[in-house]
Amino acid sequence: MISDQLKTAILGALKLDDWELTESTIAAEVPGWDSLSHVNVMLAVEKHFGIRFKSVEVLRLTNVGELQRLVNSKLTKQS
Amino acid sequence: MNKKSVGSMSQRWCDNASKSPDSDAIIHCRAGETPRRWTWGELIRTAKQYSAALTNSGIERGQVCAIIARHNALLYPVYMACVFAGAIPAVLAYPNPRLHPDKFREGLEGMGQRSGLDWILTERALEGVLQPLLGSGRSTIRGLHFPFESSEYVESAGSSGQLGTVHPACESDPLLLQHSSGTTGLQKPVLLSHGAVLEHVIEYGNFLGISPQDKVASWLPLYHDMGLIAALHLPLALGIPTIQIDPFEWVLDPSLLMQAVSANRATIAWLPNFAFSMMADKIREEDMENVALDSWRMVINCSEPVRYDDQEKFFRRFAPYGLKRDALSSCYAMAETTFAVTQTPPGLEPMTLAVDIRSLSKGQASPATGNAVRVCVSSGEPIPGCHIRIVDEECKDLGDQRVGEVLIKTATMFDGYRNYPEKTAAVIRDGWYLSGDNGFKHGKDYFIIGRKKDVVIIAGNNVYPEDVEAVIHGLVGVIPGRVVAFGEEDPEFGSERLSVAAETALADETDRRKLRMEIIKAGMRIDLTITNVYLVPPRFLVKSSAGKPSRSANKERVIRLKDRPNMTMQPAELE
Repeated sequence: MISDQLKTAILGALKLDDWELTESTIAAEVPGWDSLSHVNVMLAVEKHFGIRFKSVEVLRLTNVGELQRLVNSKLTKQS
Repeated sequence: MNKKSVGSMSQRWCDNASKSPDSDAIIHCRAGETPRRWTWGELIRTAKQYSAALTNSGIERGQVCAIIARHNALLYPVYMACVFAGAIPAVLAYPNPRLHPDKFREGLEGMGQRSGLDWILTERALEGVLQPLLGSGRSTIRGLHFPFESSEYVESAGSSGQLGTVHPACESDPLLLQHSSGTTGLQKPVLLSHGAVLEHVIEYGNFLGISPQDKVASWLPLYHDMGLIAALHLPLALGIPTIQIDPFEWVLDPSLLMQAVSANRATIAWLPNFAFSMMADKIREEDMENVALDSWRMVINCSEPVRYDDQEKFFRRFAPYGLKRDALSSCYAMAETTFAVTQTPPGLEPMTLAVDIRSLSKGQASPATGNAVRVCVSSGEPIPGCHIRIVDEECKDLGDQRVGEVLIKTATMFDGYRNYPEKTAAVIRDGWYLSGDNGFKHGKDYFIIGRKKDVVIIAGNNVYPEDVEAVIHGLVGVIPGRVVAFGEEDPEFGSERLSVAAETALADETDRRKLRMEIIKAGMRIDLTITNVYLVPPRFLVKSSAGKPSRSANKERVIRLKDRPNMTMQPAELE
């Protein structure tokens, strides 16, 4: 399940009021989330959660569910 | 005077392989993986194997092979195999998942009718999407080939171990087909000969002072002329290595280019302006660990107007890693002239001129005296064999610092758009190519400052407003025929953003919000991100003399009025 926090970070970076994000949502389905804005979305998620992604981790993400799991694993390591 | 013969590109490749079979030709990089190094010997041997397989599969001399594939180590030998077989390769963009399959096929059908696409060489992943083209009456496509799945293709073509012969080509034989951007058949196909491409890269390489110590590093897609000609053909013809990074990976992690330059001691790269801005802003300190950029002797800003602030930002950000100021460079190029028209000489950073913005809008690049300043960056001087004129509306030559359209004549210019006589006639006059760009000359230097045409350049890619308007016209809520698309400068992005102004009678804010989203989604279906949507009242858009909404006039009007509350703009005739 996609947390409200992650949704807030993503939609904020894309300047969207609302958009349904599920585990299987891919970037191409979300308005404004293209390859050029992807870096901004990742930076916004990092800032929101106070975490850092490695480049290879970001490159291998295929959908929002995987991003959620990556965020969760980073937060678990921090705690 | 007899022109010196340059021979064919295929012969040049074979000569390079004979001279240095064990030297690196292409270093194919994927993030997190060991690079795949193609030596010259292995590259040519593999290309010949594929050439035999293509011929055994029915591909004939003169036929056009569209290549649609993601970053793949086999892409280079397959491309060369087409040339060896006497066929004409045309690298096309891989469809983004957001591009609707119908739109993708429609684009290929339109392109095929102009370019005469015969075959598609692609990945199995696209088979389902492309298969319907084969039964379509409108399509010229004869069949699909899947050469990118390891050695399976060579084996199934019954040519395992067999080396194809290199088709003897003469200078005037077609080498490749390039397409301008666009999505719905507006692409303009440019056919270039062996002689044109080879002569051009030799001349351009001489101007750049290319030596055997040089190495090119590139993340540029090969469907773009800068990626194909500058970052692939030039190094392959001149026998220097090229390091190829996945464009999709680079855009997600721009530091990949810096790491590749550092690891391979690369010396030259071509980049569109937005990449200077993006790398300066987005690359993090930890991704630059152990990176050294002192090997870089030319970082060439090309394919978008060069923006002074972005070049400076880039230099300040990476100077601590060894980037030299005199490595900053610029170029003006286009597919119609094979590639480069002007270039700054090696070791000289581009000249800048602070000009008065008001005088610029009146066609004169006068030195700035007040606060309204635009720092224009030179795109360099004409490369040998290239001639430029700056002309006014009547095609009369203008003097130094007078702004006008840039006309070009080169020895390696295209003969015209393939099967598109009306477009060709519109851009060639008395042997001069009408670039559609505005610029001025100062001494030996040429400055490109904008466009006469409506084309929008987003991150180095041309977007035709017609494509965007076509998908919005039919939306419920938009007044038919009352839409314009245009580009807006985004200084932070270092490029343009796509904007749309559409007339609507909708008044309810919820309905208007839905319509804005529908317009953005319509853009997504043709793989374009519409950043700004301006909903304007009926009769707002200004018409041109042809009776259609004028893009330039409406862009100016919308931008001027956009900060007014609720966009309560008056209809055009009331203003």
